[in-house]
Order: sequence, then C-alpha cells, then structure tokens
Amino acid sequence: MPSLITTPPERADADPRPELAIHEGRVLLTGSRCGDCGYPQAVNPPRCPICGSHSIAPATFGPKGTVFSSTVLRIPVPDRTPPFTLAYVDVDEGPRILAHVDGPDEALVPGSEVVLSGWSEHGDPVVRRSGP
Amino acid sequence: MTGAGTAIWGVGTSAFGKQTSLGGPRLAWQATVEALDDAGLQASDIDAVYAGTVFGDPGTVTRCLQQIGIVEVPVITIENACASGTSAFHEARESVEMGRYERVLAFGIETMTAHFDGAISPIASDPDGAQGYAMPSIYGMSATRYKYEFGVTDEQMAEVAVKNRRHAMGNPRAQHHKTVTVEQVLGSRMVADPITLFQCCSIADAAAAAVVGPLGGSRDPSGEVAIRSSALRSGRLWDHTTDKVWGWDIVSDTAARAYEEAGVSVGDIDVFEVHDAFTIGEIITTEALGLCELGEGGRLVESGHTSLGGLQPVNPSGGLLSRGHPLGATGLAQIAEIVWQLRDMAADRQVPGARLGAVETMGGGTAGIDGNACVVTVLEQVG
Ligand SMILES: [Zn+2]
Repeated sequence: MPSLITTPPERADADPRPELAIHEGRVLLTGSRCGDCGYPQAVNPPRCPICGSHSIAPATFGPKGTVFSSTVLRIPVPDRTPPFTLAYVDVDEGPRILAHVDGPDEALVPGSEVVLSGWSEHGDPVVRRSGP
Repeated sequence: MTGAGTAIWGVGTSAFGKQTSLGGPRLAWQATVEALDDAGLQASDIDAVYAGTVFGDPGTVTRCLQQIGIVEVPVITIENACASGTSAFHEARESVEMGRYERVLAFGIETMTAHFDGAISPIASDPDGAQGYAMPSIYGMSATRYKYEFGVTDEQMAEVAVKNRRHAMGNPRAQHHKTVTVEQVLGSRMVADPITLFQCCSIADAAAAAVVGPLGGSRDPSGEVAIRSSALRSGRLWDHTTDKVWGWDIVSDTAARAYEEAGVSVGDIDVFEVHDAFTIGEIITTEALGLCELGEGGRLVESGHTSLGGLQPVNPSGGLLSRGHPLGATGLAQIAEIVWQLRDMAADRQVPGARLGAVETMGGGTAGIDGNACVVTVLEQVG
C-alpha cells in the first residue's frame, strides 16, 4: 500500500465504507451499539437487527482488533492498482469490518492482532499489525 | 400447498463461452427452443416466464424471447446474484405448485463479455465493494481461513479444478476442454492469495432454460424429472459472532430445508451440481451440503468421493470452473445437467444409475450477510 493517511479525508454521506474517526489521538471505528442486547455495528440504523430494539446509540470501537482472515488481491479493479492486502478484522468489542492492510503484500495470518491506523489514499479504512 | 407435485418437462442450454458476437437473443433462442422441443411444447403453450439475469440491460428477457413467440404472458425478471437462474427456477416451480400457472418457462441469461474484460467489478455502493473487494478476494479470504483453521492444502484446492476440468472433457458445451494438473493450477498466476487463476471460473456468455409443469402432465411423462423440493433463502448476518467462513451457513441452512421437504438425506443423493465459482467454494459447499464434516472438504475431494467414478460425483458437467459463470444462466445449466444425468443422457460424463440429484447455487457480493441468496433443489428420475 503506497501511502497511509492519518487525517480524516473528506467523506460523502453515501460512502458505504466503515467510518473511522480520530479521538484523543487514537483511530477508532464509529458505529452504534444496541442499548438492549449490546449488538455492535459499523452503521447506525434505526432498529437493532438482532432484537428489534429502537434504542440504538452511537458508539466507537477499537483501536485494536483481531484478523478473521486476509488475502492479497492481485488483479486490477477500477481506480486501484494491484496488489493490495485486505483483512476482515473483528474490532475489539465491536463489529467485523473489511479493511486495507498497511504492510507488505502478504496475507495476515488469522488471529493476528492489528490496530486501526488511518486511511488509504482512496479513503479506505486501514489497519496494521500491532503484535509480533 | 403441495398438490400432485411438479416436474421439469424439458431443458435446454446454449453453448458456454466467450461469444460476444452472438448477442443475447440468439443465445436465448438456442436454450429456449431446445427446452420447448424437449418438453414437446410450442412457445404459445407457455403461461409465464420467470427469468434470472444480473447484468442484463433493462428489457433483456422480453427482448430475447419475443421473436420466438413467447409474448402476451407475465414475464418476471429476478436478480439474485449468482443464484438468479435457480431463483427463477424456484419461483417457476412454486407458481406451478400453487396452481397459479401450468406451463412455466424458467430462463436465465448473461452476456458478460459485453460488460467485463475480466473479473466482475466490485459494487461501489457496498461497504466491502467500495474498498475494491472483487469476488476472488471473498474466496481468497475463505481459503486463507481454511488453511489456518483446518489445514486445507493448496493441493486439495487445486484438485477441485483438476477434477472439474477432467469432467468437462465429456461436456461439449463447456467453455474449457483441456485437462489441467495440480502443478499447472498452482503455477498459474496468483489472483487473490492463495487462489490462483485456474481456481477461478471464467466469465461467459450463455443462456439456459427449463420448462416446469405439473408432474405427469406433459405429452411424454416418462421424460419428466420430478422436483422433489426447492428451497431459497438469503443468508444470516455474517458478523463478528461467527467463526464460519462466508457462505457456509446459508448453504447448510438451505440444504437442510430442501432435504427435509424432499424427505431425503444427503446420502441418498447420487449426483450434485454445485457452485464452484472458485475451488475453495466447492470445498466449503460439499461440507455445508453434508457430504462430509466441517473442515473435511479438502480431504473429501482428494479421496475421489466426488469424482466421476466415485460414490457421489460433484459437478459431472465440469461445473462453473469449466463452463464459465454467466450468472443468470448458471443455475439453469446446473438444472439441465442434473436432468440429463437422471435421464441417462449425459454420455461420457454419465453417473451410472443416477436416480436422485441435487443442485446448489449460492450468490454473494453483499457485505455483512452470509450470501445474498442460495437455492438447493432435489430432483428425481420418474421412470
Ligand atoms: Zn439489540
């Protein structure tokens, strides 16, 4: 991945990607948590998909997380230059999100510890390995 | 709801391949006329059409079917990602089962080379797609997880491609007619680690069709294939609470429903056509269908159980890895293959004595859910 951006890029309201924000110097995932069942999401819908509750409150998650799985995409997709590394990350106490990985072009081993670290040049959420 | 039952009266397909110059209507005519002839029907006998297409332009289905005389009937087009064709089949069967229509055309078409040079572009409005998450990377994720969690090997994944390409040598309508070795599969270029090019289905242009009607109602009921069951559903939420790879539960849940409705267990089924868009997909699917335990899918393909000549062949047609994957047409091509198998018409790729067959198609591309749609249907020889 060519460059990591550490200040929040401009973001369109309709941007469907997980939204990161900087709080007290840390990069966190924004979203919501159900006030009744505790279900966390990277979005903030009017009802909980698990229990139906209306009491959904904004929440932040992270910055740490654990890799569920990872891959390196090596074929071109519109507007992007391959290869780039991707991972599904279970953000601590939070939801599972897809993120780009800042590091060498190799898939992370599932179970690896990562930390939310900023944005790609395209505005994607980015993680990097935090453990050994 | 269940009356005397429903059956497939006839099936047809075009050839599968990159055939941009043919265009949609000619592909559709080949598939539909073959299915009508097979069913002993005229176009004017068709009461309704359920069709599956994903990338087709607005009006694709009526544009394709009008010149062969399928007009003045309800035409309903369904988009359910890779399962669009089988979703159309499911609804066609349901409509006959409920007595809404009698002779229904289930139809699927895709002219992918008109839209893509290579892989399908990621969906920009999707949380994952907007990050450049192309389809091969979804399966790359599953393969990475399977290597880590179950010790599935690259060779076992490659074996799926080797097997299905070998099967396709007996299928004149497949896109690929060349066997490959494990070494060739693993030596082809890396697409989405650890998935290599020969482990990915190609894009294709094709159409496929089936005529569905009441069981025993066609001119030659001995050629009918009974639809014992069909199940269609979207996935559960796929989130931080699951350790299953994407797509496992939806296939397992849908298959359980289809087996229950048919009153069969997986061991009763002689032949399968399943969604092998990528090699790891077939490994996951055979587990989720119950052909083996969770985590044993790599060893299952290695054992030969799912090869032609094995106890329960999977993808005797060569599957998506050999046909290519024209999304709307794929499901109905799978249906056609099982119909030919159950009628003992599959020639060099025939599973001897097959009486019960199953089709599974699973479509994705939506973040956060364990599949947009899955269809599993159980078919039985009548005669
Ligand atoms: Zn809740």
